[in-house]
Amino acid sequence: MTSTIPQVPAMTGPSRSAPRPPSPVPALAHLLIWGGAAAVLALWWSDTTSVVGAAGWFTGAGRITGLLAGYACAVLLLLMARVPLLDRAVGTDRLARWHAMGGRYTVSLASAHVLLIIWGYSLESHTGVVDQTTTLVLHYPDLLKGTIGYLLFLMTALVSARTVRRRVAYETWHFLHFATYLAVFLVFGHQLSNGADFTGNRPAQLAWYTLYTGVAALLAWYRFAVPARRAMRHRLYVAEVRPEAPGVVSVYLSGSGLEGLRAEPGQFFRWRFLTRGMWWAANPYSLSAAPHPAYLRITVKASGGHSTALARLVPGTRVLAEGPYGAFTARRRRARKTLLLGGGVGITPLRTLFETLPGEVTLIYRARRPEDLALRGEIDALAAARGAAVHYVVDEPAVYSSPLTPEALRGLVPDLAERDVYLCGPPGMTEAAVTALRGAGVPRRRIHHESFAF
Amino acid sequence: MRKATVTTAATAAGVILLLSLKPHQNPAPAMTAPSPASSSGTGAASTSPSTTHAPGGTSGTFTGSVINTAYGPVQVSVTLSHGRITKVTALRTPSDRPRSQQIAASAVPQLTREALSAQSAHIDAVSGATYTSEGYTRSLQSALDKAGV
Repeated sequence: MTSTIPQVPAMTGPSRSAPRPPSPVPALAHLLIWGGAAAVLALWWSDTTSVVGAAGWFTGAGRITGLLAGYACAVLLLLMARVPLLDRAVGTDRLARWHAMGGRYTVSLASAHVLLIIWGYSLESHTGVVDQTTTLVLHYPDLLKGTIGYLLFLMTALVSARTVRRRVAYETWHFLHFATYLAVFLVFGHQLSNGADFTGNRPAQLAWYTLYTGVAALLAWYRFAVPARRAMRHRLYVAEVRPEAPGVVSVYLSGSGLEGLRAEPGQFFRWRFLTRGMWWAANPYSLSAAPHPAYLRITVKASGGHSTALARLVPGTRVLAEGPYGAFTARRRRARKTLLLGGGVGITPLRTLFETLPGEVTLIYRARRPEDLALRGEIDALAAARGAAVHYVVDEPAVYSSPLTPEALRGLVPDLAERDVYLCGPPGMTEAAVTALRGAGVPRRRIHHESFAF
Repeated sequence: MRKATVTTAATAAGVILLLSLKPHQNPAPAMTAPSPASSSGTGAASTSPSTTHAPGGTSGTFTGSVINTAYGPVQVSVTLSHGRITKVTALRTPSDRPRSQQIAASAVPQLTREALSAQSAHIDAVSGATYTSEGYTRSLQSALDKAGV
């Protein structure tokens, strides 16, 4: 049942014993995004001389919302371009959350834009709303495409609504979401050919083109070119599939030049197994052991079509791995002592960090029953090797259970408030854990957590 | 849900604030002294077919210069009868884009009404048709200058 711990020292690079100062990148990213929005508003401001009458107000509001929506589309794409600087400093899951919130906002802006422009133009030309809409869609340049693009945005928004997402498989939702690429492409044209603030304004047009081509270039590079190049260089394949616990398997992947991937403990890859039924999905799984020159390991619990299929993988299957991604690494440390708090399958990145994090580390591993404590043997061996404490908490039998409350946590880890906490687990557990940790006095900036609920 | 409400309210407030900070009257159309350099149109016609300097004022039809605006050229001709403007005809209006055509279709009649009642080119611009209005008034003024009115 116990897996072997590699004898070769894991390649984690020179580990810094002193924690680093917080990265300025998230703050800079915020600044740039809001700065860009301000610049877009400044464009409207400098171009508008007066706002006269109801028509003027409606059209003006339509232009402002339109400009902001067009800008926001570029920003949203940039957030998902997997730019390493952003990914490492802000974190994949945080970027995905910004994208999700921003996406809802952008579709709302676009809808407001559509309604305001139709109403404003109707008032100005003294035509009916239906007439005006027909004229716009059929006779204005690039607006038929724009309308289709907008409808695609609406479809995306609908499919992403919580009620719908619950019933739709992740892979299906993800596939449909790619329609947004097409939507952005379709609506781009009408912005320049109809936008009043772009008419005769060469610098503004140039800036708009630069913004969009820049984002497109980043997307093409980091989402397509880099993974393709890596796939050809490293040629990953499944070396071994090893059962760890009921419903839990570890998959060992081999290839050439794995050090070149420069994966850090705590990071994850998006794995595309080139076999029937799995080749069209690239699912994220964290490395469950420190990156090793000879192999990479992931440990997965069967909880869906894809994860169940992993247990049936045939050694030799080719794998495309996009990554490494994620900011759930030793870089985030601020204190000298750390607590790793994991639940269920969230143990995987924590197990890797448990192996490599310098300083004093304590691990709390929560699961439903003792059988669900995957990788338990390894964790015990690691704890013994580095003299660290491990607390296993299960819901049943109740004698080993412990609630996620500030008092219970402090009971297990008395100096909790002085530690960095790395948190990983199912959404319900992490929410409760964050509340409990805050209640126990851990400042928000020292709680690092990565959620896989994209 | 609450975050959505706050964001929506904040955005609406921001947009309304921006719009309210702008002036709410039409700017007076830029009236430069008519000079050949100000209207760089090709073939700026200036025919005056029938000019009768009859006592009581000028009569005839006078064509103004082509004024090039950001959206396209504007040219009007004015018909005078004994010194009174009786008709203004828009010979050319911006027609490149459907939007411009729509604007011209509603703005030009309004500008003509104003010109007839003001009996001059000193008229207010039509809101939403700033460029068309400016082109109209400048072309009209140049036509009136040709008529010597």
